[in-house]
Amino acid sequence: MLGSWPSFDPHNFSQFKPNDPANPSKMTPVTYRPTHDRTLPPPDQVIAPEAKNILLRHFYQPAEEKLRSKRAPCDNPSPERASKLPRPSASDNSI
Amino acid sequence: MFRSNNVTARIFERQISSPAPGTSVHCARRFYENIVPCHTIFDIECPDILFRKFSDDGQYLITFSRNHQDLVVYRPTWLSYSCREQDCPDHDLPSKANKFESFFTQLYSVTLACSGELICKDFFLYSEKNQFGIFASSTAQIHDAPAVGGAIQGIPSIEKITFHLVRLEDGVILDERVFCNDYINLAHSMGVFLYDDLVAIVSLRYQRIHILQIRDSGNLVDVRSIGEYCREDDELFLNSSTQCMSIPGRNRNHNVGNGPDHTNQMPEGSFLSGLKQRLLSFIFRGIWNEEDDPTMRMQCLKKKFYFHFQDYADLVIWKVQFLDRHHLLIKFGSVDGGVARNTDNHPAFFAVYNMETTEIISFYQNSADELYTLFELFCDHFHSSSKNSFYMNFLSTHSNNIHALEQLRCNKNKASSLPQFVKKMLSTLPFNCQSQSPSPYFDHSLFRYDDKLISATDRHRQSTDHPIKFISRRQPNILKFKIKPGPESGNADTRTKKISSFLFHPILPLAISVQQTLFLQPAVMKILKRI
Repeated sequence: MLGSWPSFDPHNFSQFKPNDPANPSKMTPVTYRPTHDRTLPPPDQVIAPEAKNILLRHFYQPAEEKLRSKRAPCDNPSPERASKLPRPSASDNSI
Repeated sequence: MFRSNNVTARIFERQISSPAPGTSVHCARRFYENIVPCHTIFDIECPDILFRKFSDDGQYLITFSRNHQDLVVYRPTWLSYSCREQDCPDHDLPSKANKFESFFTQLYSVTLACSGELICKDFFLYSEKNQFGIFASSTAQIHDAPAVGGAIQGIPSIEKITFHLVRLEDGVILDERVFCNDYINLAHSMGVFLYDDLVAIVSLRYQRIHILQIRDSGNLVDVRSIGEYCREDDELFLNSSTQCMSIPGRNRNHNVGNGPDHTNQMPEGSFLSGLKQRLLSFIFRGIWNEEDDPTMRMQCLKKKFYFHFQDYADLVIWKVQFLDRHHLLIKFGSVDGGVARNTDNHPAFFAVYNMETTEIISFYQNSADELYTLFELFCDHFHSSSKNSFYMNFLSTHSNNIHALEQLRCNKNKASSLPQFVKKMLSTLPFNCQSQSPSPYFDHSLFRYDDKLISATDRHRQSTDHPIKFISRRQPNILKFKIKPGPESGNADTRTKKISSFLFHPILPLAISVQQTLFLQPAVMKILKRI
């Protein structure tokens, strides 16, 4: 069906074989298997949506900053909080 | 977006191309540039009712009877008319196109207020999920009410305030909640905030925030009462402690029950209320943490906290709104400002309170630049709308619209004093619940209009004789439609002050304009629609 359409290069669709419904294609797509484990998530990771909207996050920010600045001299300097941390999300449907 | 302004071309373009991700509603709204309520019907015979507003999903028109006793609900409908003649555009529409009944079908009329009570005509909250409406009726206000039973001196009292939960589909009153000898600001729903299925009612007289839940079955259920107590079991704990302390004097009358009676056990003013304690300790800790040096710390505390201690302790709750299901934005101020119409001259403070942890998260004065910055950037989040309400997510504010932001910046530059400007902008917080109309005609990216004459905010305005123009944004200088509030022939009496209110249907190109004087003259009503 596509063979007769005009084309810049007549050899463009030479390899094209239209699907024959009587003879379905037996090709399965290749599954990607990673060759390293650098990008695996930590085993206990739980991705949860942020319960607080951006406005509330800004309200909480000064309080959290003060807490962090108070803790810093006492504990070891901890790395910057990763954006995805296991944390219980406040369920929006419960009171 | 569309390449042409022609509606037919736009429809064809819509058939073949899909809008950019996340812009489907904005794309669909562009059609409102083509379909505007350009035709006015005046001299309409309408029933003697007081118009409140259209429900936010456009299903109902809420009105009250003139005697403030009945709720009358209409269904907005749309006429259709077809003409097979040669010169159709020159034909007049049939006479029923000018009738009120052609646009609004009365569904029912139900009496809400008993004798002695009047329905508050400015109060209506709509729960879109279940199509429930909340209405309020009250008896007359008593101004010099004595401060008994834990009440605050200086706040008037209303003998009975009733909130009615009505199923708007059929007018059945599902539940009621009565407050006796209390004062709740009912005008423009100021004292009540609805978020999803949670209702916050501010009792100014007893300084409590009652949180109720609307169940799907139609029941109003008490969740908690914040003010005197923060957690649900604070009252139990305090009562059991005072009982233990007063065991030797058992002959005295101990009344361990709910309600304000039990406060008579403790001498008046011995304990600050739970919420006040949270607030004062938050302020104290904030000032404490500012300085590390003990001497400087003490000086700071003396100057900033102890010097103003009584002012902080005397603060009263003025108004409340939900920021999400767990957080409240509470406005505090002095007692005089709680019931005043104009609160600009009274000092005010804002606090964000988490109902679950019972903690104050932040505290600002009404001139705080930090709070104003958050207001400028995230105004949408102050108009907290629940996930159930679709159209309320597309209100045009200065945080999501460049034109509205330009207008705000322009006003800011023109202001004589920046702190005054900040105070004026923050005085709109907390927002009144459901006070913004979701109509696309108020979208700043579609139309330009004079904010002082008309806006999405639902309130009465002083009427002008000049028509209010809606000019297309994308095609500057092209007038799309205009509204003339008064009678078509002009007002005979130009001296009487007139107020106008405009009710825009959220979806249809239909609007009602009502102009009335302060005296009980019949209102001039017009319907604007698209032919």
